[in-house]
Amino acid sequence: MLKIFTSSQSGDLNIVAIWMFLIFVAVTLYITFWAAKKTQSTNNFFTAGGNITGFQNGLAISGDFMSAASFLGISGLVFLSGFDGLIYSIGFLVGWPIILLLIAEPLRNLGKYGFSDVVSFRLNEKPVRVLSAFGSLSTVILYLIAQMVGAGKLIEILFGLPYITAEIIVGVLMILYVTFGGMLATTWVQIIKAILLLSGATLIAFLVLNQFDFSFNQFFDAAVSTHDNGLAIMAPGGLISDPISAISLGLALMFGTAGLPHILMRFFTVSDAKQARRSVAFATGFIGYFYILTFIIGFGAIILVSNNPAYLSDNGQILGNNNMAAIHLAHAVGGNILLGFISAVAFATILAVVSGLTLAGASAISHDLYANVIHKGANDKSQMMVSKYATIGLGLMAILLGILFEEQNVAFMVGLAFAIAASTNFPILFLSIYWKNVTTRGVIVGGSSGLISCILFVIIGPIVWVDILNNAQAIFPYKYPALFSMTITFFGIWFFSVTDNSIQATKEQALFDSQYFRAQTGYNKQRTVNQ
Amino acid sequence: MHNENLFNRLIKKKKRIIRPLLFLTVIPYLTFICIIAFYPNYFSNMLFNSSVSIGIILGFMLIIIIWIITLLYVYLANKHIEPIIKELNN
Repeated sequence: MLKIFTSSQSGDLNIVAIWMFLIFVAVTLYITFWAAKKTQSTNNFFTAGGNITGFQNGLAISGDFMSAASFLGISGLVFLSGFDGLIYSIGFLVGWPIILLLIAEPLRNLGKYGFSDVVSFRLNEKPVRVLSAFGSLSTVILYLIAQMVGAGKLIEILFGLPYITAEIIVGVLMILYVTFGGMLATTWVQIIKAILLLSGATLIAFLVLNQFDFSFNQFFDAAVSTHDNGLAIMAPGGLISDPISAISLGLALMFGTAGLPHILMRFFTVSDAKQARRSVAFATGFIGYFYILTFIIGFGAIILVSNNPAYLSDNGQILGNNNMAAIHLAHAVGGNILLGFISAVAFATILAVVSGLTLAGASAISHDLYANVIHKGANDKSQMMVSKYATIGLGLMAILLGILFEEQNVAFMVGLAFAIAASTNFPILFLSIYWKNVTTRGVIVGGSSGLISCILFVIIGPIVWVDILNNAQAIFPYKYPALFSMTITFFGIWFFSVTDNSIQATKEQALFDSQYFRAQTGYNKQRTVNQ
Repeated sequence: MHNENLFNRLIKKKKRIIRPLLFLTVIPYLTFICIIAFYPNYFSNMLFNSSVSIGIILGFMLIIIIWIITLLYVYLANKHIEPIIKELNN
């Protein structure tokens, strides 16, 4: 299986990849050391002091979003079935205008560390924060497991390290970055990694297109004539089998992005709503460009990897799996040096993404559960301590879960994370910003039924019930639950809000106007009236 | 009272900018998804006897539309919304 890496090339590969990786670790640890001095308060720990510029934040957001899973996964999907990869790319990208137009500014204006601040702005804080924390933590942990398992497998192949060692290295470095450097270090790790990944992918795409004189016509012609499915790779294929699944997946991708806690918390690292807007515009630019690159890389791999015996096992399968298409292509167009560079970049990408996820999880634990529910009025010092312990706890849990799930199929976990984000985090955030009549009861009943139904539908659906639990027939027939669970959430919030006649509900609805004023302007209504 | 009017103007302006842009994001995307769902064969038509299908062209166009929408919003917000917010603070 590891023919390419254990042949005569392996010596060269290891040296380039390992040196690049060591340089990355040295630079990022230095940044962590520098950031640690500036990360003395909880506010700095979670928001980097609010001093990140729109451009820097745009890069950091795209860094959070361009995980190794999406780089290798989407180019692998394009390699396997062509057009279908584009469905994912576009779905992930279309979430960004939604965030920009509906979420970014009110979020920045109303919140402090995370989206839960916005939801609990006028609602009953305790239950709402508990629900938001559950929504955040389930999204973060599922995403984290998927990243950790993918990371272990990738590092095993690229660097020849045992799986468990790889998990421990990733976990320990991530704990160091986050505990000592907080958001400031995590942001800079994310920025460096985003630049490395964009340059590496640009270089591969350039070298590929160079072989076709930059003619897309020649390029696609070559891919069609190489691939077993011929012209079918230019059209929708087997990824989506029925209309309900297509729409359900489409919704999960579009609204899931707007409910990812590690993305939403990035909007608190900039100074104001104006910079938040700029961040999204830059991020959308980088992410869209990145998806175009992965598409070219996937097609490039069809042409240059799928027929080259150096990258195929004895029975004609690609070495490793489809997710290795981009890595093999780097070797095909740029030799051992580019292969080493891309391997190091993939490793850096994993580290940066798990750090961002862990920070979002730590925020849910220390800010929502500890400082506002368990120990209301906790001082800054104790909240900071809890944040650091939460980081260490999440890091150790990530290592453990990564090892436990090694042999499991974890591909569905990112999909489930997106579905939960779309069916719980996004609806409660969106409605609490824009709908006057929302009440605590509505949010709790609607949000938790969305969360539960989403998880339940995945468990009794084809992926878990049939593929993993080996039952003959799925109870819930669709792979993607978002269409149904989102409907349940929105209906639940609507129904249990409009039928809520309690005094509490009336108070919450009365607070809407001043909240809306602040959401749109960033000022408190009272203050401007007085002036 | 002056503030109330100014705030109402802000909201009106915001809605006038955001609604069409939201429409331009959601409708083309849902159309794209619905074609995949109901008429997948439509996307396999090739353009001018090349190997480039309509699906690929529309997909790339969608990426470009999304870019334009975000840039346009930032431009319009800076030009029309920011000044009103500043005025509200004074």
